[in-house]
Amino acid sequence: MIYNKEIEQMNVTQMQEIQLKRLKDLVKRVYEKVPFYKKKFDESGVKPEDIKTLADISKLPFTTKNEMRETFPYGLLSSPLDDIVEIHTSSGTTGTPVVAGYTENDRTLWSEVMARCLAMAGADKTDTIQNAYGYGLFTGGLGVHHGAGPLGAAVIPISSGNTQKQLQYMQDFKSTVLTCTPSYSLFMAEVASESGLDFRNFDLKAGIFGAEPWSDNMRVEIEKKLNLKAYDIYGLTEIIGPGVSCECQEQNGLHINEDFFYPEIIDAETGEVLPEGEKGELVFTTLSREGTPLIRYRTRDITWLFRDKCSCGRTTIKMHRLLGRNDDMLIIKGVNVFPSQIENILMKIENTEPHYQIIIDRESTQLDNVELQVEVEENFFSDETKDLEIVKNRIHDEMKQQLGISLNIKLVEPKTIERSMGKAKRVIDKRDLKAGEK
Amino acid sequence: MIDLYKDREIETMDREALEALQLLRYKSTVANALKTPFYKKRLNSVGIKSARDLKNLLDIKKIPFTTKEDLREAYPFGLLASDKEDVVRMHASSGTTGTPTVIYQTQEDLDNWTNLTTRSLVSVGCHKGDIFQNMMTYGLFTGGIGLHYGAEKLGMLVIPASSGNTKRQLQLMKDFETTVVHATPSYMLYLYSKMEEYGYTLSDFKLKKALVGAEPHSEEIRRKIEKLFNIDAYNSYGLSEMNGPSVAFECEKKAGMHLWEDSYYMEIVDEDTLEELSDGETGELVLSILIRNATPILRYRTRDLTAIIPGQCSCGRISKRITRIKGRTDDMLIINGVNVFPSQIEEVIMKMPEVGTNYRILVRKEGLLDRLIVQTEVGPSIFSDDARDMNALKRRIIDNLRASITISPTVELHEPGVLPVQEGKAIRVVDKRGENK
Repeated sequence: MIYNKEIEQMNVTQMQEIQLKRLKDLVKRVYEKVPFYKKKFDESGVKPEDIKTLADISKLPFTTKNEMRETFPYGLLSSPLDDIVEIHTSSGTTGTPVVAGYTENDRTLWSEVMARCLAMAGADKTDTIQNAYGYGLFTGGLGVHHGAGPLGAAVIPISSGNTQKQLQYMQDFKSTVLTCTPSYSLFMAEVASESGLDFRNFDLKAGIFGAEPWSDNMRVEIEKKLNLKAYDIYGLTEIIGPGVSCECQEQNGLHINEDFFYPEIIDAETGEVLPEGEKGELVFTTLSREGTPLIRYRTRDITWLFRDKCSCGRTTIKMHRLLGRNDDMLIIKGVNVFPSQIENILMKIENTEPHYQIIIDRESTQLDNVELQVEVEENFFSDETKDLEIVKNRIHDEMKQQLGISLNIKLVEPKTIERSMGKAKRVIDKRDLKAGEK
Repeated sequence: MIDLYKDREIETMDREALEALQLLRYKSTVANALKTPFYKKRLNSVGIKSARDLKNLLDIKKIPFTTKEDLREAYPFGLLASDKEDVVRMHASSGTTGTPTVIYQTQEDLDNWTNLTTRSLVSVGCHKGDIFQNMMTYGLFTGGIGLHYGAEKLGMLVIPASSGNTKRQLQLMKDFETTVVHATPSYMLYLYSKMEEYGYTLSDFKLKKALVGAEPHSEEIRRKIEKLFNIDAYNSYGLSEMNGPSVAFECEKKAGMHLWEDSYYMEIVDEDTLEELSDGETGELVLSILIRNATPILRYRTRDLTAIIPGQCSCGRISKRITRIKGRTDDMLIINGVNVFPSQIEEVIMKMPEVGTNYRILVRKEGLLDRLIVQTEVGPSIFSDDARDMNALKRRIIDNLRASITISPTVELHEPGVLPVQEGKAIRVVDKRGENK
């Protein structure tokens, strides 16, 4: 089923007309209402009137994640605070988070694009969606939740975690669609198999997985183990949350809701716009957002854009599944973490040395296993194990509190972590996320 | 001047008109209930074959009570009165065993609920422009999502913080200039106690109101919260069987909670004889929900003890007020706002062969929060084994319990014969929260 035939099957010319009209309105609005953008536009010597064609978008300056941080909390609002009805923040929660503000219209827009995505994966009002993304400030849970409303599907707002209960609910309520991170779905499969449960006896037909990069190899495994079709969904808090793009039944590229999110691919070094089919950094402009609109937001995600005659009948532009991120941000269990954040927390803890390493592995469980190795002071290591436990727990708790993830902490003797003459290798990522993507 | 009546006509109608509305809605609820095998049998047994058999409100007394056990037996779809296709939401709360209590909602049901939560927020002076930090858990529990949609509809800015992570809660309160919070009373006190440690003072916040609920608390606790934060605190009552928050809510007069009688039919009964009690007398609250198509529940025994406050509130609302919840008529424990039945715990640990038959449940205050401790006896072989095996077993007990009751208790393993053995009915639950205040 196509949720919004008029838009999703529109011809390119008409789509571009809508995009251009919305772009002009947006540029005018942010120039008038957001001092941050006025300053940026003025500095680049561009005026709203300069936007005459879609190609003129390249005259506008980019917006970066750092700028979103600098304008925290309300610096990017283009609507009065009174008109904001919901707020979300990015999962990287230390220091300054990135804030997305939604007006009532933005919320309606979000529900609309999420409903389209759920429909792309084959869901309709007869479905029961078990939503195992985390609920709260994270956009994953509430994003899917909001989208199920207009679709008319039943939502089980089970949130993440409690795997036994997840499996019980799947059977008892005959859930047909599962939404969560891909790694969590595989963990569910493992727990099911330990409990002697067989997914062939379940009613699941589709899984809509996102919030962390995953490979085609992983898809094969998920589809086999959970006996469903696994769809990739893409989104980020800054743009709206989940719902920016999603795979259709073809499972060949993600249809972008381009009437609201205008995509570009740029050369990450030069900032130059690249043609369709060329690989580069994905950039989005939120054509209709009123709360926190973004002009040419640099996602740091690497992919390419293409249009094909998709058998699903949708004409919207597609993006290939993510090939990676062009900076050092780690995505662990769906949470965005920068090594610098870990460092930041660690450096405040007494009795530790400033030498550490993050080792990320995806074991048979398919859950990200993150070991944080930390050196402790020479004299401290010989002390009672109880004291070591205290430091270990302290590090664990601080990380959990500030980053929202549980790390395995391993205290090691001084000088055990490899030293480098140049840049220290802080992260060892043993996950093979790109397997199968040659 | 802000209008504190969202639905002025309904909130201030006279009793006669209210009762006419109740009868109308009760009839349509009965018509719905008759679509479920469970209620068809029950209602037929007392001669109610169609909604027309309900001539006046007194006829309601003929209907048998519904209990939590009934809901468990109807699990999972036995009380579903709408087409599955029309269901858009499901919520669940803890049952007396691992089987949860489930409710379904259609879009219309959700709209009705949202209308009530909006009305409740308006009645305590919340308005568009307020920044609302919702510290109740989001998910299957109705506390978080329930007020989320009502606040959004009112045009408040909602920060869906969910529960926990105190440091971040304080930071959000400061950065976003939060004016209204929704939390359990004990969490409000905990939040205050952590302010200094995390480097905040009251002057960092713009807080004006706290909506507190999900656990019983005294007037003293309310005053304490108000004084500590220099805010107004309002009491909120709800249970997931009846949709969740906004079954009853205090108005700005803070003189008891208005039970929204246009949406719920209320009775107070003697817990033993089940006779209806007069206004002012304390007994068990019995509720029928009048605004939900997908899961009608009639004369539900809430197990909560309260009394109707005689007379009308000076705010002018017609809906009668109930007192703070005074206790429970069953053994349900409320641990930091989460409902836990001892039978759930027993069910989990008795399924584990390594665990002996003797166990004890201890609840005490750890600082301002509740701590649940489960003490069990284990076989001598396990006890003498490697400490790692013991820890692994402990871990497994905690995991299994968390899957059932959603909170992580402390588990203590003891050698056989260490826990006190009672003659006759064992006293399994020791609640020490009242001590050493």
